[in-house]
Amino acid sequence: MLHVALANIKTYARRYIAVILAVAIGTAFLAATLAVNTSTRATLKNSLGDTYKNADLVAFQDWELAPDDPDFKYTELGLKQVQQIRELPQISTAYGTAFVSGELRTADDGYGVMLQPVSAEQNLGGMELLEGRAPLNSNEIILDDEHAQKMLVSVGDTVGLTGADSATRDVKVVGIQRTSTDPMLSGYALVGMQESAWEKSAGESAQFQNIVIDARDSVPAAQQALAAYLAEHRMIDVSVMTADEKVINDVAMLTDGTDQLTIVLLVFALVALVVTGLVVVNTFNVVIAQRTRELALLRTLGAKRQQIRSSVLIEALVIGVVASLLGVALAVALMAGLIQLVHVMVPSMSYATLALNTTGLVVPVVVGILMTVIAASLPARRAMKLAPLAALRPFDAASVKNRAGKLRIVFGILLTLAGGGLLAWGAIAGSLPIAFGGGLLSFPGILMLASLFVPASVFGIGKLVAGRSVAGKLAALNAVRNPGRTTATATALLIGVTLVSMIMVGGQTAKASLNNSIAGEYPVDLTVSLYERAVNEAKTQDLARELGSLDGIEETSTFLAGSVETKGGDNEGGFSLMGVDPQTFSKVVLDQNIVPEDGQIIRFNTGGEEQPKKLTVGGRELDVKVSSASLFQDLVTKDTLESLKTGDAADEYAGVLIKVAPDLSNSEITALVEQIADVANVESYMVSGGVVENAMFSQVIDVLLAIVSALLAVAVLIALIGVANTLSLSVLERTRENSLLRALGLKKKQLRAMLAQEAVLIGGVAALLGLVLGVVYGLLGAHATLSAIGEMSYEIPWLQLALVLVVSIVAALLASVTPGRRAAKLSPVQGLATE
Amino acid sequence: MTSETLPLTEYAVSARGLTKSYGHDSTRVEALRTVDVAFARSRFTAIMGPSGSGKSTLMHCLAGLDTADAGEIIIGGRDLMTLNDDELTMMRREQIGFVFQSFNLVPTINAKDNILLPLSLAGKSHDREWFNTVIDALGLRDRLSHKPHELSGGQQQRVAVARALLTRPEVVFGDEPTGNLDSRTGAEVLSLMRTSTREMGQTIIMVTHDPAAASYADTVLLMKDGSIVGQLENPTVATVTEALASLAE
Repeated sequence: MLHVALANIKTYARRYIAVILAVAIGTAFLAATLAVNTSTRATLKNSLGDTYKNADLVAFQDWELAPDDPDFKYTELGLKQVQQIRELPQISTAYGTAFVSGELRTADDGYGVMLQPVSAEQNLGGMELLEGRAPLNSNEIILDDEHAQKMLVSVGDTVGLTGADSATRDVKVVGIQRTSTDPMLSGYALVGMQESAWEKSAGESAQFQNIVIDARDSVPAAQQALAAYLAEHRMIDVSVMTADEKVINDVAMLTDGTDQLTIVLLVFALVALVVTGLVVVNTFNVVIAQRTRELALLRTLGAKRQQIRSSVLIEALVIGVVASLLGVALAVALMAGLIQLVHVMVPSMSYATLALNTTGLVVPVVVGILMTVIAASLPARRAMKLAPLAALRPFDAASVKNRAGKLRIVFGILLTLAGGGLLAWGAIAGSLPIAFGGGLLSFPGILMLASLFVPASVFGIGKLVAGRSVAGKLAALNAVRNPGRTTATATALLIGVTLVSMIMVGGQTAKASLNNSIAGEYPVDLTVSLYERAVNEAKTQDLARELGSLDGIEETSTFLAGSVETKGGDNEGGFSLMGVDPQTFSKVVLDQNIVPEDGQIIRFNTGGEEQPKKLTVGGRELDVKVSSASLFQDLVTKDTLESLKTGDAADEYAGVLIKVAPDLSNSEITALVEQIADVANVESYMVSGGVVENAMFSQVIDVLLAIVSALLAVAVLIALIGVANTLSLSVLERTRENSLLRALGLKKKQLRAMLAQEAVLIGGVAALLGLVLGVVYGLLGAHATLSAIGEMSYEIPWLQLALVLVVSIVAALLASVTPGRRAAKLSPVQGLATE
Repeated sequence: MTSETLPLTEYAVSARGLTKSYGHDSTRVEALRTVDVAFARSRFTAIMGPSGSGKSTLMHCLAGLDTADAGEIIIGGRDLMTLNDDELTMMRREQIGFVFQSFNLVPTINAKDNILLPLSLAGKSHDREWFNTVIDALGLRDRLSHKPHELSGGQQQRVAVARALLTRPEVVFGDEPTGNLDSRTGAEVLSLMRTSTREMGQTIIMVTHDPAAASYADTVLLMKDGSIVGQLENPTVATVTEALASLAE
């Protein structure tokens, strides 16, 4: 049967293009995910390894070796130990690497730096001189290339250096070394000093993270000598590893996060693969339906059932192999391209490496092949059951009744009910894990039941849309003539759309709810604090007026913050108060309850503890009013504040409170904040408040949404390939019928319109159902996640959802173009002649 | 001369100088060699000939399903050769009816919708009286709500005939309409077709290789190697068989 299978693939190669594409994309996703993981590790290894590049051994204090004893004294590795190690005859060189911070002052500016001991005899502390020479006395340093350029410092310059001991001395830059690619170091300006000078500067923190060692002759001998040395000095918590082992150790420590990223990506890859599986099932179902007579003829001629089945499975195997290899090649090319791009765009990341391991290449291929063969096994079983008589059946059946298996329905109902219950419980209880489990159970359950509602919805909506158009009615009928096929095609799309819209609704609701709780906490949109500036009421008023004239600002009000003297209680000494002008304050504040009257103090209480009715501050007894909204300080009127005995005058500062226009977008708010900072001549972080926080949260959520949507878009893309695939195969299957319609007076345009309507029906209804499911899941999920934080505010991003629907419909339309053209190209005679 | 100005003649379908060939150079087959032919109104004509004689090609070209290389084909006063695809489609909808050998019906819709299909495609309503006449003549009243796969072969062909007659086309083409039927059912369908020429004045052109089927026609045209080589009036099974035998010599 092998030659029959191969001949089939050869003959019908065109029919398999779409399915090969779908499988290749699914496999490429998986392969790329794994390649991201291995490449991240390799890149880290490459860059971390920079520190130990030329070393044989690394000794370091290892917490894991320390005994579980609170009195245990951890070993401190200092210059003394390094010198002892250098004296061992088996050791050639040894130096320590440290993280000791200092400050370097040039004529213009000051910079934070890391201080590192270097010795010309000891490999220069692992550094690589680009220019000049090593420091020879305590007045000389070397500096790394990148930061030297940034500081405009070159060899021969004199700079001020402050160590951990707080002493500042002038030093001369005598050399420039290459900037390390080690991600743990590369962010810092690295200053190399003579060892004794370093020890002095480092003071109490003169300790090493690692001691990097070169063996004189053999590494094992050096290792033995070191072990003996450590044992002799009872340093039981010190590990010695080869440089390679140490790098692997460090990478493992740093890649915990990458592994999580990989897991998240794998979940998306899984979604893409499930969708691909549905496309494969569909393709084979159609292909086998088309070959009914051929297969039945084989049976008539003596092919065993088993042979028919293996013939189909062999085809699936060949397709799986071709598509998976293609997919992995695609992923490798993509990753290589990305890394090349990084090299070109960010030259300093030249250490970024493409790394592929056997597992990362073999697993996607195997998964791709298995998925294809397993997905094809169901259609293959159906082919096997074909009666030889089917070859002689004269009529093409109008529609196939494929009843969903009872077992599947029962199982689907059980899963849906159980999952739905869990989801509801999770939402009510505000528990994300429970709700997540519910979603994980109920979604597959609903998908199992899809055959109950998808064809019915497609037909119903199709009839509704068609009106009196014959082509429309035929399209609606055609769309459901094989309910199983329609269900599988639509389900593939439904999965992607459900997940995308769930994320969108969840994100939007999260934004709205956070906005809500932020608005509750921040009674004023924006606060401009003028710290470090002498209080000048007239100037502050001028500033408030100037700010008030900016576009996007509705109202402004000034405040005066200061501390008042108190005796007794928790606030003995200074007590921070904000004095406001009640008239203008009431215009900027969102909650009128916190506008103070003279003689009143508004206290912010988030903890819920009882507050006394009266409070004595600054020698005066004030009425207490409690509010949950917070301006970080308690509020009084300006007049009240001035009547109180104030504390340290240096703590006093003024500021402006701002109410912004209600409908500003996030980017407008960001721009406005910059503008305000500019006008007020303060750093932009001095402009704070609810709208800023809100814009920040919104932006974070938007970025997350964009990333997740992009990942899910792969699944949607595959599903749309599936729509095109199903349609083009259906067109092949209906060649004679379409030709008959043409002969009877259906115009080419009408034929294309009919196919387009069929595609749009399947795509549109799948998207619509997906949107409905996504909205439900999104709202329940958001409730489960956020109801604990505060009052929920449900918002559905209609525009985005409409966009998803439009994209699905347009894509379905596009998917119908090629099949439609092929169908219209065929002359009625040719079509009717086709057997 | 535009197609609209052609005078209506006593012929429902006429063709002049029709040529068509397939393939290139060495594989070239001349399916039609300058065929001149005219089919009188309200007549039932059968086209016969051995395999490869060009009879199907002639019918496909006359019906506007296929395009000839040269010549003219006049139906309802219009030259099909000058029409584009959409105009041809409109012609097929309004002026031409079809009964094929098999796969005559759209499987998704019932018999009634199939009969009405050309009219619904044109967005026209049907003449109820005429509809009743046709379906009663063809004995389809009980079958209207059935889907094609619920009908026997003969019933399916009768539905196809009804569909062809319902638009009162200038001409109905039959392509081996009884090829897939047993002889009794075939005879039934052919009688119905003959009745429709006699009683409804319908012009019918049928391609067949079965002398028994051809004997229902008023006229038999004989074709060989892409040309019309003979004509029989009021044929019988015997005369047709004889004529075919003489063609083979």
